[in-house]
Amino acid sequence: MHQARFKGRLFPFLLLAPTLAILVVFLYYPVFQTFRLSLYRVAFLGLRKTFVGFANFSDLFHNPDYIHSIVVTLIVTTAVVIGGLGISLAISVLANQKIRGARLYRLLLIWPYAISPAIAGIVWLFLFSPGYGIVNYLLSLTLHIAPNWLGDPFLAVFIIIVASIWKNLGYNIAFYLAALQNLNTDVLEAALIDGANYWRRFWSVTFPLLSPITFFLLITNITYAFFDIFPIVDVMTKGGPFNATNILIYNLYREGFEYYRTGSAAAQSLILFLGVVVLTLIQFRTSGRHVHYGGA
Amino acid sequence: MFNRRWLLVVIGVLGLVGWVLAKDAVEITFWHAFGGARTAIIERMVEDFNYTHPGIHVSVEFKGSYRDTLNAAILAAQQGNPPHVVQIFEVGTQLAIDSGIFVPIQDLVTEDELMPEDFIEGVADYYKIGGKFYSVPWNSSNPVLYYNKDIFEKAGLDPNKPPRTFADLLAYSERIISSGAAKIALSAALHSWYFEQWMAAMDELLVNNNNGRTGRATESFLDSLAAKTIVDWWGKMARKGYWAYTGKLEDWDGAEGLFVSGQAAMLLESTSEVAYLRKVFGEKGIGLGVAPFPYPAKYIDGTPTKAPVGFVVGGASLWITKDHPPEELQAAAEFVLWMSNVENTIRWHKLTGYFPVRKKAVEVLEFEHWFDKYPEYAVAFEQLLSSKSTYATRGALTGAFLEIRTIIEQAIEKVIAGRATVDQALAEAKRKADAAIKRYNASVGAG
Repeated sequence: MHQARFKGRLFPFLLLAPTLAILVVFLYYPVFQTFRLSLYRVAFLGLRKTFVGFANFSDLFHNPDYIHSIVVTLIVTTAVVIGGLGISLAISVLANQKIRGARLYRLLLIWPYAISPAIAGIVWLFLFSPGYGIVNYLLSLTLHIAPNWLGDPFLAVFIIIVASIWKNLGYNIAFYLAALQNLNTDVLEAALIDGANYWRRFWSVTFPLLSPITFFLLITNITYAFFDIFPIVDVMTKGGPFNATNILIYNLYREGFEYYRTGSAAAQSLILFLGVVVLTLIQFRTSGRHVHYGGA
Repeated sequence: MFNRRWLLVVIGVLGLVGWVLAKDAVEITFWHAFGGARTAIIERMVEDFNYTHPGIHVSVEFKGSYRDTLNAAILAAQQGNPPHVVQIFEVGTQLAIDSGIFVPIQDLVTEDELMPEDFIEGVADYYKIGGKFYSVPWNSSNPVLYYNKDIFEKAGLDPNKPPRTFADLLAYSERIISSGAAKIALSAALHSWYFEQWMAAMDELLVNNNNGRTGRATESFLDSLAAKTIVDWWGKMARKGYWAYTGKLEDWDGAEGLFVSGQAAMLLESTSEVAYLRKVFGEKGIGLGVAPFPYPAKYIDGTPTKAPVGFVVGGASLWITKDHPPEELQAAAEFVLWMSNVENTIRWHKLTGYFPVRKKAVEVLEFEHWFDKYPEYAVAFEQLLSSKSTYATRGALTGAFLEIRTIIEQAIEKVIAGRATVDQALAEAKRKADAAIKRYNASVGAG
């Protein structure tokens, strides 16, 4: 095999320079700054900085509200990831059947992904708002009940989870559908000839063959639940009621941009960053072993 | 050669013309916090300003909530590109002064231009700090009680006798709920603004040093008997199911939605909703009642309060940021004065319900018999005129106010959820608020 080689050592770096410049300016430098800021207590507007070491971090872990926020985040993330992946897989399998209008169904299923999370939040707010929500309007007409969806801590978390799952369904389904359509049919045929029934074929053949994509979606969905559901929370509950939906990223926003506690917010974003790194490492270590990439 | 010289001349002339034209229209930007129908009103006003001031062009931008707008302005100033004029809500006043990014309006214009004596009393009281106007009062309001007269009649209540006190509200609510006239008796956003108003009504201070008016505030009074009275009442209203929570702090839209949709019999809101609610209720053919803001007549221990001493003027004022060339600052000053001149404050009042902030505007309105024709607009205004000017009713000044608002709201939230007693919740709130004030003061080098 012939491998193209660059003449001179500088040339490849020259080609990489634009990308590196963007990474340094927009990624590495801010990360470095965030790390530095997390060691300071910053006066509002950044006028004054006092070095406080790791005090921002220890303050956070001694703050029951912050611990509560961690718990909420873990609950929401677990529910969004498991619920989201489970439902998308089920829908994808159904949508993968050879039926009339399959292409239209697939198109419609991927649709929610195209709208922005803030708009998704507003749509769900119009559904479940106690004042002008359509759901309660219909419920009170038919069943004469009107649950306070967003005013009750338990129901509010539930609605946030459901809305977040719904928003990301399109993304997950797109990947699962693509994976299902590229499955190695030889193995499935072999299983069919061996007389395996539908469930058996699904759990013993299809599901393991999908594991690479499930693994990939697991990571992206965790990141989604950690960071990207912020607009949904902001529009629907603003972290309430009673801090029930105050996920870490929302808490960070509030402290950083409403109370101007830049130092604490920087510390929080580092904790979030480390959390995602650790989670990803654990995922790679454990699930990685069971991921079946097919082939030899 | 000849051609090239001509070309240079033409370019030179064009450049000169362009320069003159560009110099002619001074570009300034204005950020505000009003969405919905009010965006249209503001845009129309700015359009009129641009039309009548050919030398100035104002571009206007809606920046989200009060909090969002202030944040955006401060971030923009940090990055060296602040808008010229920003609408900042009353509790952001101390923060805006400390930020050092604004120029006091009184340093930009003469006394004759500003006419500081022409601002109506309650409004001037709030925005005159150490005898000086830093910003131009613009949208100013008081809270009032709105009620649905049809529901009152259905409940067997006299629609011309609205509740006056906390005790009345409890009694009326009991009647409304038990008669089945409405599902919710009282709707109100879970907002610290009401708490602040009731503290003022009882002539009680929110923070020390005379509400931060005679010195920088260093301590809050969130665990006072007055504070307990308010939170205890709110908790009762919630536990008995008279007041419904929409689940979000400061959820103006949600609370108003419950009232407009006919689910709630009464609503606590700003007088600035008068125009909108009159319109909606008029279209539906439902009677809208507007009444003075109810107050706590007794402390939690049964002793009578001084209420109603008066209420604090809420709303926002227009601030000018300082790092601009002099002609832009002058244009900005002209704009903010125009926005609050007699003609425009009248227009603003009629279209929303906010106070006409100029005394001369009030004279014009009285000449037109405006308040006789539209008594709903007069309720809050009479309330303002009968307010006594004390440190309590002038409103508190502290740079940590934004955070304290959330702290107060979370304390009330804990009590209505039954997660803390009134004493526990307020002791915690005081501790947090005092820490926030201390942190803020230290951060601006004042403590």
